[in-house]
Amino acid sequence: MDIFLTRLFAGMTAGSIYAMIALTLVIVFRSSATINFAQGEFALFTTYVSWWLTERGWNIWVTLIPAVVIGFVLCAAAERFLVRPVRRRDEAAVLIVGLALFTGLNGLSGTIWGSDDKVYPRLVPVSVDSFLEIAGARLFYDSLFVMGALVVVVGGLTLLMSRTNLGLQMRAVATNQESAGLCGIKVGRVFMISWGLAGAIGAVAAAILVPILPPGQLGLPGMFHMLIFGTVAAILGGLDSIKGAVVGGLSLGVGLAMINGYGSGLGGSISLTVALVVVVAVLGLRPSGLFGSKRLERV
Amino acid sequence: MTAPLLQATGLSAGYGQAMVLRDVDIEVAPGQVAVVLGANGAGKTTLMRALAGLLPFSGELLVDGRAVRNSRPDKMVGHGVSLVPQGRGTMSALSVVDNLRAGAVSRRDKAVVEEDIERWFTTFPRLAERHAQPAGTLSGGEQQMLAIARALMSRPRLLLCDEISLGLAPRIVQELFETIAQINVEMGTALLLVEQNAALAMKIASYVYLLEVGEVVESGAARDFEQSESIRRVYLGY
Ligand SMILES: Nc1ncnc2c1ncn2[C@@H]1O[C@H](COP(=O)(O)OP(=O)(O)O)[C@@H](O)[C@H]1O
Ligand SMILES: [Mg+2]
Repeated sequence: MDIFLTRLFAGMTAGSIYAMIALTLVIVFRSSATINFAQGEFALFTTYVSWWLTERGWNIWVTLIPAVVIGFVLCAAAERFLVRPVRRRDEAAVLIVGLALFTGLNGLSGTIWGSDDKVYPRLVPVSVDSFLEIAGARLFYDSLFVMGALVVVVGGLTLLMSRTNLGLQMRAVATNQESAGLCGIKVGRVFMISWGLAGAIGAVAAAILVPILPPGQLGLPGMFHMLIFGTVAAILGGLDSIKGAVVGGLSLGVGLAMINGYGSGLGGSISLTVALVVVVAVLGLRPSGLFGSKRLERV
Repeated sequence: MTAPLLQATGLSAGYGQAMVLRDVDIEVAPGQVAVVLGANGAGKTTLMRALAGLLPFSGELLVDGRAVRNSRPDKMVGHGVSLVPQGRGTMSALSVVDNLRAGAVSRRDKAVVEEDIERWFTTFPRLAERHAQPAGTLSGGEQQMLAIARALMSRPRLLLCDEISLGLAPRIVQELFETIAQINVEMGTALLLVEQNAALAMKIASYVYLLEVGEVVESGAARDFEQSESIRRVYLGY
């Protein structure tokens, strides 16, 4: 029982992080039908900024403010000045821009901060006894913190979407861009803000995940793995569904923890294999994912 | 003669290399009802999309005598021109009431928006009954009502309607036309209608344009068209 719970907690912790990354992808996809493969690299860049500021004596929590602002501005600017002009000419070329951003941002981080790994502080310090004991299993405070962060992010997004004028505009654009334009909505502005929002959430997610997921340090390849699992979670949940990102992220996290735990004879790279199987299964059986749209149409 | 609300001169538009509209002149006075008649494929939808800012065009487009260039739909809504597109274009995943709220995003007088929603719910009681339902689950007639109400939420001075009768039962079409005629009278909203159902449109229109293969071949007061034998036979079928 306690080993099951331990694995469940570990899975939910990783799953909460996958869910947050999936959310950033979903927010962008809902507006502009693009998967931003550079999303992880934007987050890597803001985390380097945050680390650099902590080296200068800033409190880690305070560094989140510039990280979030830079994440927002960088992503919004990338949409406005790189993606949008290219999209107007050629939809497929947007993917190339994403790849260029991916390598460009990674290279930029490497040029500024070097390629050696950095020790990035935890937002919630841990000691040997910072856990709750539940039925013999340990639930560490920083796991609780990660899950809490997901709850806060999702709660905030839900309120934004359902209660605000901006949220209404984002939902309108997600359903039908042309009709949204005919309503008087500035569709380009909604794209830009959506990208910015994804950049801001990515900055928070990265600051949380870097110290607690392997290798536990800040390095240039750090986000790539996370982006893969975030993408799988988003595809599983349905690329345009916020609820889907959360359910997809948590089920992927828990599923992988169980498979890795109980199937230890299966070898080390089993997570990636499982992730690939999930993607193929979703695309084959239910391309809109668990909660993706295209169901409400009664054509 | 009052100054035109909307005036297009030498308007040309198309898709890529293929020019569909050539040199079209059209004007609509404030509060006027005009109709564009034409066969399938004549370019009626292309014209409406160009006027609504969905399609680039060459030529001159004036709203209130001021030139509109590089138009975008949100800008045209800002100028007071709103389109009910062919195929309705409701936002299927949004609830009925959210569709209406979205139609009002350009407005500053937020307090009055809820009053307007109530007003259109009174006009279209079936929308009120289904206010929380996703628009995608409505019947065709209900979606058309929603599309019209949504377009009116920005309080346009000119409403462009692209074949609102398409695919609907005659009784519902009759109702819709009565409703927009009433809106024209009560609110002074000018209407530019595109129709294949010419007989119905002619009943409420005061001015008529005949569009053939992308060109306006004739235009004039609806009264004169009623009396023109040949046009009656070709476009009105009686
Ligand atoms: N998206 C498009 N791409 C290319 N050609 C189009 C497109 N839409 C319409 N057309 C062509 O433009 C012409 C006019 O179409 P349209 O404006 O829809 O006519 P109508 O509304 O009068 O039936 C037709 O020949 C049609 O094939
Ligand atoms: Mg048409």
